[in-house]
Amino acid sequence: MKKLRVTVEGKSYEVLVEMLDDSQVAAPVVSAPVVAAPVVSAPVVSAPVVSAPVVAPVVAPAPKAAPSGPGDVLSPLAGKVVSFEVKVGDKVTEGQQVATIEAMKMNTYIYAASAGTVTAIPVAPGDGVNEGAVLVSIA
Amino acid sequence: MPISAQLVKTLEEKRKVILNAGGADKLADRKKKGLMSARERLEAFFEPGTFMEFGAHAQNQGREFGLADKQFPCDGVITGIGYVDGRPVAAYSQDFTVGGGSLGSMHAKKICDLQDYAIKTGMPFIGINDSGGARIQEGDAALAGYGQIFFRNVLASGVVPQISILMGPCAGGAVYSPALTDFIIMTKSNAQMFICGPEVIKAATGQTVTMDEIGSAAAHASVSGNIHFVAEDEKHALQIARKLLSFVPANNVQDPPHRPTPTLSLDIDPGMNDIVPEDPKAPFDVLKVIARLVDGGDFLEVQRDFAKNIVVGWARIQGIVVGIIANQPAVKAGTLDIDASDKSARFIRFCNIFNIPIVTLVDVPGFLPGIAQERGGIIRHGAKMLFAYAAATVPKITVIMRKAYGGAYLAMCSADLGADLVFAWPTAEIAVMGGEGAVSILFKREIAAASEPKKKAKELAAEYREKFAAPYEAASKAFITDIIMPSQTRGILAMALRNTLAKRESRPPKKHGNIPL
Repeated sequence: MKKLRVTVEGKSYEVLVEMLDDSQVAAPVVSAPVVAAPVVSAPVVSAPVVSAPVVAPVVAPAPKAAPSGPGDVLSPLAGKVVSFEVKVGDKVTEGQQVATIEAMKMNTYIYAASAGTVTAIPVAPGDGVNEGAVLVSIA
Repeated sequence: MPISAQLVKTLEEKRKVILNAGGADKLADRKKKGLMSARERLEAFFEPGTFMEFGAHAQNQGREFGLADKQFPCDGVITGIGYVDGRPVAAYSQDFTVGGGSLGSMHAKKICDLQDYAIKTGMPFIGINDSGGARIQEGDAALAGYGQIFFRNVLASGVVPQISILMGPCAGGAVYSPALTDFIIMTKSNAQMFICGPEVIKAATGQTVTMDEIGSAAAHASVSGNIHFVAEDEKHALQIARKLLSFVPANNVQDPPHRPTPTLSLDIDPGMNDIVPEDPKAPFDVLKVIARLVDGGDFLEVQRDFAKNIVVGWARIQGIVVGIIANQPAVKAGTLDIDASDKSARFIRFCNIFNIPIVTLVDVPGFLPGIAQERGGIIRHGAKMLFAYAAATVPKITVIMRKAYGGAYLAMCSADLGADLVFAWPTAEIAVMGGEGAVSILFKREIAAASEPKKKAKELAAEYREKFAAPYEAASKAFITDIIMPSQTRGILAMALRNTLAKRESRPPKKHGNIPL
């Protein structure tokens, strides 16, 4: 502790000054480089998808779900067959209504994509059909 | 002192070379095939005599691999400004007679310069594509050219309407310039668009496929959904583009070309009352509704052959330009599926960019159930519709014609998604789900305990339906502005459009939202 007199604009003041450890005061301040502790962060990854690849559930094939041919009229959505407007052997014109499907509380009318003769109707009214199922075959 | 004869002659000669394009024989050959030249296409597109060409004297920069003494007039692309309906429009037209319409660095620069000009001046940008692809002799300079064009397509997106017209081949990377624009029009024959052609597919996968199956206008219009309009021929394609421009403003800070009728008519259209069938299961053609609502039945349908379960397009209602989004109950019961969501979300966003009020016509039983839909990501695709509607700040007016069920009801611009006005017809049914489904959950125990469970379920379902298969429950909660007769709809829409036209809505500033892509 040192007692000092300081004069400011002719007025003197007595001040007490405490000398701290010399080395601390005098030593040039060399700031040690601040190195952030290396944070070893574990990589965060998405959980592995179950070993077996997720495949589309195999829907039991609808009865007589023959591969569709060029003249086949397919169901545009899954639903229930309400009625057929044609029978096997009928001649149909392009754009003629051939069936009615009920799905989502609505009837969807199904039209022939091409003209020809109805060769097969693989499903019956009341049957459930999947999207893409053959409703009427036209040749 | 008059200009020297020599200077005049030089200019005339230079112009002659430019107009001669790839040579008289090549031009004659095209004519024989019934195809227009690149220049004729622009002349047919613009009002006569209004075309101002940019860079007619530009030449090919690549001089290697046999191009040393080759002259490519205009470097295979004609660019400039012309007028359509009295409004300036920027357009380029690739010239297949010049180096196969191939894209070299100067060709690209001319297109880029025009893009910059269109962005600066705020005018629509049209590209007529007919090109063999990158000019291989110019190597990476050609590739860079595509990149520069794509970049400007993106800069222009949301600023000026961009329309691509495909009248010839557009293959490989080149397809991404049209793909980045707002609309693509393709001629029925003679135009192809694909990334990998049949030969490459065959070599890589062994699969045999025809060009028609992967690259034709028909395939893109109905299956891939890449394009928006199919044209009978080149003239028809240009006509579609001009018609499209008649509904859109020149840029995002202008209003669309409204032509409000001097007086507002509230006339009744009694025929409208007969369109919705009495049987709630019977479908109807929503195009018939649209035809009666809009001026002169003049409706420009966008993507007519893709996701037909939703109908989108522009029209005017007593002169006010509107974008219409309508469920089509005649196709897939009017359900929303992946393709329908993508189609309408993009259309909604286009309308919002260009200040076009949106009219939504609702008859939706729900999202399409199915494995393919769930696994195909109907959640993220359906979310696009919700996002697009909620993000749109243009006037949004909704008419509930019939079914409005569950999440699909919300997705069709419900009041909660920010519709400014919601009208319902007396046939409207607004509910979270159908009666049978609802009671099987709500009254599972009661039904099981009943002496005649089926009868009980039916009774309860009828009760549920009575409450919700009508617009009054929703109206009592003020989800609906008013219940109107179908016959009043045109007049009320016209009035609603006029009183929402000055709508201004501010949102928190941000770079952009994160639409689920």
